[in-house]
Amino acid sequence: MTVVDVRSLTVRVGSRDIVSDVSFSVGAGEIVALVGESGSGKTTTALALLGESPSGAQLTGQVEVAGSTVDSSNSPPAGVVGYIPQHPSAALNPVRRIGPVLREIARLHGGGSPVQQRVLDALRQAQMPDGSRFLRRYPHQLSGGQQQRVVLAHELVGQPKVLIADEPTTGQDAVIRAQLIEELRAVAGQGIAILLLTHDLELVRALADHVLVMHRGSAVESGPCLDVLGTPQHQYTIRLINAAGRNPAAPPPVLEESTPVVSVRRLVAGHRRVDTLHDISLEIRPRDRIAIVGRSGSGKTTLARCIAGLHPFRQGEILLWSTPLSPLLRRRSFSQLARIQYVFQDARASFNEFVPVLDQVARTAERLRGLPRAEARARAVDGLDRLGIAEANATRLPGSMSGGELQRAALVRATLAEPDLLICDEITSGLDTVTHADLLDVLGKLQEDTGCALMVITHDLAVVAGLAHGVLLMDDGRIVEHGRTADVVALMHEEASLGSAG
Amino acid sequence: MTLPSYVARRTLLGVIQVPLVMCGVFFLAEALPGDAAVTIAGDNPDPAIIAVLRERLGLNEPAWHRLGDWLAAALHGDFGQSLVGPRSVVDIIASAAGPTLLLAGLTLVLLIPLSVGLGVLAANREGSRLDRLITSTTLGLYSAPEFAMGLLIVTVFAVQLRWLPPTAVGTSLLSNPAVLVIPVFVLLLRPICSLSRLIRAGMIDAQRSEYVRHVRRIGLSPTRVRFAHALPNAVTPAIQQLARTIDWLVGGVIVIEAIFVVPGLGTTLVQAVAARDLPVIQGLAVVFATTTVLVNLAADVAARVLSPTAEAGR
Repeated sequence: MTVVDVRSLTVRVGSRDIVSDVSFSVGAGEIVALVGESGSGKTTTALALLGESPSGAQLTGQVEVAGSTVDSSNSPPAGVVGYIPQHPSAALNPVRRIGPVLREIARLHGGGSPVQQRVLDALRQAQMPDGSRFLRRYPHQLSGGQQQRVVLAHELVGQPKVLIADEPTTGQDAVIRAQLIEELRAVAGQGIAILLLTHDLELVRALADHVLVMHRGSAVESGPCLDVLGTPQHQYTIRLINAAGRNPAAPPPVLEESTPVVSVRRLVAGHRRVDTLHDISLEIRPRDRIAIVGRSGSGKTTLARCIAGLHPFRQGEILLWSTPLSPLLRRRSFSQLARIQYVFQDARASFNEFVPVLDQVARTAERLRGLPRAEARARAVDGLDRLGIAEANATRLPGSMSGGELQRAALVRATLAEPDLLICDEITSGLDTVTHADLLDVLGKLQEDTGCALMVITHDLAVVAGLAHGVLLMDDGRIVEHGRTADVVALMHEEASLGSAG
Repeated sequence: MTLPSYVARRTLLGVIQVPLVMCGVFFLAEALPGDAAVTIAGDNPDPAIIAVLRERLGLNEPAWHRLGDWLAAALHGDFGQSLVGPRSVVDIIASAAGPTLLLAGLTLVLLIPLSVGLGVLAANREGSRLDRLITSTTLGLYSAPEFAMGLLIVTVFAVQLRWLPPTAVGTSLLSNPAVLVIPVFVLLLRPICSLSRLIRAGMIDAQRSEYVRHVRRIGLSPTRVRFAHALPNAVTPAIQQLARTIDWLVGGVIVIEAIFVVPGLGTTLVQAVAARDLPVIQGLAVVFATTTVLVNLAADVAARVLSPTAEAGR
């Protein structure tokens, strides 16, 4: 039975088609994936099922959900189409407890059984069998995976006919991804049609029955999942698949005997009264590329922040070229600060939105290395240009640049300080596959050019396999595995599958 | 930090702050030229009388001694005698507190719903003519000092139109509530402006957030979305401003009480300063300091309860 039927959908803003002539249908219990990089029109297409469109847009074509036509004046009845936005944590009201909101939604939809019963049923459907434990909690007291399941429960309470999941795996670790695949499969098993918007081809492979590849607003290829991903026809699909599966050339070997750039000895750190890092020791040698992996909350970021001086540690020591570093940022000299640079996960938040990007990039060289303003600026222009950001573009405010561009600008900003160690914290999450692959290339090249050591924090095994020489696996504030990349990656695959089974 | 331990810590801080303010007030009074004996002795004092008075009032004792005595007595609720009349300081403050609290209470009861309503209304139609009217009017009114607004309103409504009595002279506030209308109105003008603008800004932020869009898509009614989902996120910044407002109201809005001749704490303070009635000034300072500490404690606790993520913050 067809639940969603979209015929020749075109969404036009001004003279530009953000979606042009897209057609597909989704049957009950079927999973259809819209695949494409960010800006390809996936979300606009999916929101048309809710009768939503960008402001000033013109919709043509036919959208039918559960037998009735949907357009901007006829939204589907409440609860028929469930939409799970990209960042579930943002969809949960920070000041409302989980239970009351779920009950409020349940009351809205009516139905035979008591409200509390329907709330617990929905949580169970969303793979939270012990849901009653969470009802009195606030969203910030849940893990990322739990937040996602609560948002799923919001939608399931209304017993939807269609569920739209927008980039559900962005920023999630391997364990949560494996759980999510189970959740969505179970939802489809209940006869709910699922529309998956994603650039995560692994997720598509694991879940989707049908695939629609979107590029610049058009569907360039569609068909059963195995056909499209197995024998791609369109050039763009081929590029997408290659970008996801590529392993860059093996990195050059490390000089084992050299003095470590940074050594961490028996480090203990924590938040408030609780220790979250226990007895961490590691050495990073020149030109080394280390990946730190582990589930969210395992202490990866805290360790990196301790090294960079952003989080004061309690015991142990951190040596930079055999000189001990102070736990406090303000006690470190400018040259010590320049030698360890940090690129943050959220590039946009790491730029001041009111100052042109170029000025902010040049400022590191000016302040940390004492270059005259004109020279710092010239180097910044040069560095940005090498990563494909033209000077005219860089003199604009951060608000008018894309996430990928800002992330590259942040990399240039860090390298202008000529660091000996560059720390990259989840810098690829939230970027689509093509941008993502570009950024990894850039990172590898930058490291070869500057000769700094690289420390990459990530959830993404593709990053680890493509970039790192060595891997540290962290769990619960300890290093549980330390080894060559290939060994640890194999081990993690095993753990992820165990985690999803349990 | 859990909520009870946070409250305990803040209360302890308040218990330390009030005596510190009391010491500050005592030493400021000490630093003034002349003392109580000079005040009592009148305009053409005889040095012999001053000496006798000093002896009788214990003013020859060292300052530390007198501070200790004063603090100990204050602890038992005794702030001494007024220098200019037969009444005790506690008596004077207690009788003046009534009118001030009445004005402050009435103002607050009207202030909260009005400013929330205006803020939500303006945010709802962001950019509309109504919104521009509300935001420009509130900005204009906020810029006008209350004594100017007070005099203007008295001139128009009491003197020319004769709708309402201009001052509270000679009547009791409760038996003739009409005298309260203009003062409460003038008191409301500025706080309504600052609060409604904060609520408006908070509501606009909240309405643009993903969680509001999410519950809207789910199909909750616009009223529920506005008041149960967006508003709780919008009130936190307004609470701190509300605390400052309460503090301002209870501190005796001196100008307003002077214009409308309301016998409240503000009027009492003005009279005590004019008469150099030091014990009354000191007593009032303690009352104002305690109010400030208590109101801010309440506001911080309320803000904490309303923003549960504060607990997880660094």
